Amino acid sequence: MTRLRPHISLLLLLLILALLPFLVGLLDGQSPASMLAGEAGRSKFIQGLMIEIFILAIYAVSYDLILGVAGILSFGHAMFFAVGAYATGILLKSAGWSLGPTLIAVVGLGLAQAILFGVVLARVSGITFALVTLGLAYVFDILIKTRELGEYTGGDVGLQGIPRPDFLNPSDERLRFYYLMLVFAALVYLLYRRFVDSPTGRVCIAARENEERARMLGFNTILFKFVALTMASISAALAGMAYALFQPIVSPEVAGLGFTVEGLLMVLMGGIGALSGPMLGAALFKFMDFYFNKWFGESASFMVGAIYVLIVLFLPYGLVGTWRMRRRDMLAGWEELLERWRKMMG
Amino acid sequence: MSSFRTHRAQWIILAALALLFLLAAQGMSTRDWLVTVLRGLSVAAVTFLVASGFSIIFGLMDVLNLAHGALFMLGAYVGWTAYVRPDTVIDLATPVLLFLAGFALSPALTLGLSRIPARLRERRAFAWGLLAAALLVLYLALPHAPMAAWHPGEYTDSPIVWTQTFEAERVAELAQPAVAEVPAWLVWSGILLGGLLLAASLIAFNMQRRPPVAVASAALRRGLFLFLALLTVALLIYGFNTPLTAFMLSLSSNWLFLFAIVMAVITGVGLGGLMESTLIRPLYERALYQIMLTFGLAFIGTEIVRAVWGRSGFTMPKPELFAGRGEGCPATSIGGWLQHHCSTIVIEIAGEKARIRTYNELFLIVMGVLVLVVVWLILQRTRLGMIIRAGVQDSEMVEALGIDVRRVFTLVFALGVGLAALGGVLAAPATGLSDAMGAHVLLTALIALAIGGLTSYPGAAVGSLIVGLMQQFIIKYGQIGIQLPFMDEPFKPTPPLVPASTVLLMVVVLLLMPQGLFGRRE
Amino acid sequence: MPAPILSLQSIHTFIGRFHILEGVSLDAPEGSITALLGRNGAGKTTTLKSILGLTPPSQGKILFNGEEIQGRRPYEIAALGIGYVPEHRAIFRDLSVYENLKIAERKKGDLERKADFIFGLFPDLKRLIHLSGANLSGGQQQMLAVARALVPDNELLLIDEPSEGLAPVIIEQMMEAIKALSAKTTVLLVEQNFLVASTLAEHYVIIEEGRTVKRGLMADLIHDEAAIHRYLGAA
Repeated sequence: MTRLRPHISLLLLLLILALLPFLVGLLDGQSPASMLAGEAGRSKFIQGLMIEIFILAIYAVSYDLILGVAGILSFGHAMFFAVGAYATGILLKSAGWSLGPTLIAVVGLGLAQAILFGVVLARVSGITFALVTLGLAYVFDILIKTRELGEYTGGDVGLQGIPRPDFLNPSDERLRFYYLMLVFAALVYLLYRRFVDSPTGRVCIAARENEERARMLGFNTILFKFVALTMASISAALAGMAYALFQPIVSPEVAGLGFTVEGLLMVLMGGIGALSGPMLGAALFKFMDFYFNKWFGESASFMVGAIYVLIVLFLPYGLVGTWRMRRRDMLAGWEELLERWRKMMG
Repeated sequence: MSSFRTHRAQWIILAALALLFLLAAQGMSTRDWLVTVLRGLSVAAVTFLVASGFSIIFGLMDVLNLAHGALFMLGAYVGWTAYVRPDTVIDLATPVLLFLAGFALSPALTLGLSRIPARLRERRAFAWGLLAAALLVLYLALPHAPMAAWHPGEYTDSPIVWTQTFEAERVAELAQPAVAEVPAWLVWSGILLGGLLLAASLIAFNMQRRPPVAVASAALRRGLFLFLALLTVALLIYGFNTPLTAFMLSLSSNWLFLFAIVMAVITGVGLGGLMESTLIRPLYERALYQIMLTFGLAFIGTEIVRAVWGRSGFTMPKPELFAGRGEGCPATSIGGWLQHHCSTIVIEIAGEKARIRTYNELFLIVMGVLVLVVVWLILQRTRLGMIIRAGVQDSEMVEALGIDVRRVFTLVFALGVGLAALGGVLAAPATGLSDAMGAHVLLTALIALAIGGLTSYPGAAVGSLIVGLMQQFIIKYGQIGIQLPFMDEPFKPTPPLVPASTVLLMVVVLLLMPQGLFGRRE
Repeated sequence: MPAPILSLQSIHTFIGRFHILEGVSLDAPEGSITALLGRNGAGKTTTLKSILGLTPPSQGKILFNGEEIQGRRPYEIAALGIGYVPEHRAIFRDLSVYENLKIAERKKGDLERKADFIFGLFPDLKRLIHLSGANLSGGQQQMLAVARALVPDNELLLIDEPSEGLAPVIIEQMMEAIKALSAKTTVLLVEQNFLVASTLAEHYVIIEEGRTVKRGLMADLIHDEAAIHRYLGAA
């Protein structure tokens, strides 16, 4: 029982998310049978939104593993995602592969990227590494937009018409897609948690500022960073694959610097280094993006930028980070408030 | 050891330049080669204006100012506005100066606030209340400031275009009386009050962190003097708004261009100082957040430009000195240009005619070299330069010598941003204005710096040179094609490959020499 | 005993989360050399940095000429007349010897006024005046670091490990110079080499794990072999 306790909130969250499509459906008076049949309705819309959030959450948490956990400043994270998305699209559409081999290929490409970045990391670090990753991602961004590769990548327009296997059709089998993504996101989180809480993980995180010391204690920080990079790269590529399968079009925007900035914003909003934070941040970002576009139209991006700056200045540890630091004070404050109410009531 | 490093760097530069010469020999005529080199130098000059400030800021205070490109763009847009509609600047001068006058009274406000009982002063609500009051007053007052409104889309109706198309009589129409539904004195006092309240709230926020210190009477007197001076100038400009506008509109575009440069630099310096002292300073201890902050500011800067000037770009007419097309043009020598103010000079090389644009390919290069020399002299010959060079290595030691490093930081940041704004307004007539120009120039400057070494001043110059030349040569080869080994057809690089190739060069240089060509290993 | 020009009263300093100083008290009597002693990691360098405000103390008082200076910005503290010769010298590599001295001026012409005194102490520097800081040897850098602190009118010098990593001949030269300048300026000296410290200083303060554990006259400490052994290891 005690071993389960820290996981209770997680289990509860998973349960709520698992029931969410039905809850939304019930509120709208939609019968479970029609929902299982994948008929249109608010539940389906919410499922779609949540699938996008799960994909973004994996993207954000993988970025956090590099930035917040391994302490590597990288500006090329959009490439990790886009490689998965474009590889899936090209392999399924132009090469005519089936889903299984494509999956293996995407994992392989994720590994290859991690090795590429790892080789770079072994040579340069800090700001220089950030610039190199920025550069590599930019080159990739340009390459997929070039005319020469337009036949495969769709150039500026994006990659359309990716054939999807029937059992994962995002329109007809959305509920299945939803559960698949939910399980995927949960697995990524648990795996990362495990990694971060491992003895090596703990020491390497504690010694981020002082690598020499960790190395002297006999912990291989380079290996730790490389493993973190590999895990992040593969999961981001898989998130990209899910994106390619779910969205009708792979937009070249996912390879751009803007998408990296959005990832940064998700990580910052939730709290850098707190794995659950960036996943929450991804959800917030998606909602913010959606409603701001609705309310403010053209000035939406200005609002996003302003919120970003305000978070950096006033909430540097993000929502989850701040919560963890102030939890005791906040809970005490709540109890005081409840106590006062109780007195007022009687 | 260090001499070996510099030598190696120079060898690599020589090799790179030699490569360019070699490429030039391949199917490119001497004329094409000369024009391409000049264009490369012109791009390098603009890049250098951004890169130099960026590198000095990064060297001295370790701030990777990713908003530098956005500030370059802001400089361009402000300069453009001052150039095509100088009357707007005059209209805006009064409210801006009044607003600043409030800040000039800071010492007196500090004194006043420290008299308030600490119990009240140290409440958070006090500072926030002041801030809210300031914003409210400004929100009420600012929209009523009398201004001649105009739409950016109709900028072709600007006096600059008129004087160039010899329709000078229409200039008079512009000096239209500004509309004012609210009495002017009320608006002006509102803006003044808003500035005062804002300054007071910032001081109150500061006092929560640090207990108030005694205010020197000299500072008090200086503040009061500055306040009165700003007040007087603001009201004078308001009083003489109409004759001033008429005067500005009667100026030739050369003078207006100079005016635009001054306005852009002032804006850049002001914004830079403000940014450093309010946003960057609290984050010196947290480098990662600083990068993210400037990243976000770059984003916001772009959005501000879009909100104020719209998304569609503009062209900026060149000043008369570089715009002549009439008699005697195109000139055949520099003397001919000076006489007729031609837009181009045509010279004959190896039997071919080379067209050189006087603004892009002469003026910009000269300005780049000028800034290079002036900044170098400042760095080498002045006390400020000495402090900067020392601070790049160890700013803590500089402070331990009794030098107020923080003030130097603000000053250098302001000047660095001023350089970027100067770059923006100088580039605008050559490249036009668009909301993407900031991100583009930032990337080019970053590449140049990564190649040259992030904190090295000569590195910034050489890096800009390499990037500029490389870019233009690749563009040229995109037009004429290049014969590569193992290829039957001449290879024509497509436009996107231009930035890609320079980025690749950066990646290669950084992987081979992580410190760049001139950087120093820490 | 003359009045202390500098007095630390139970200073506490944190660096990040680490509580480095947990109550350092010391007096530096005017016109003399006070040695700050202790083992590696006892907090000697942090004490000097706390005086200057480079690592601001969170508790306790620092009096300089009877004025409380804790909590002020480092440049303000330095400008009161405190010179700092840090560990590892911190010579500006990109500046020439002349510029390294010139930058320390607090008033225009300081260097010209002090030139004779400084070059009297360190004749070598005059010869090297146009060399860049990067090309100096360790001993020359140490001389320059001390000379730099002498350019403005400082009443107090904080000198951190002046003998570290220097050849014996140079150490002797350095000791003579410090002795000579202490005629005009009060010195607070951090020194690992007990021989050097005991030869130079009149007063001593020993700190251990961030606390002052013993202080008094050097003349007494020299004969207290038990204390030397206990606090400083082998003498």
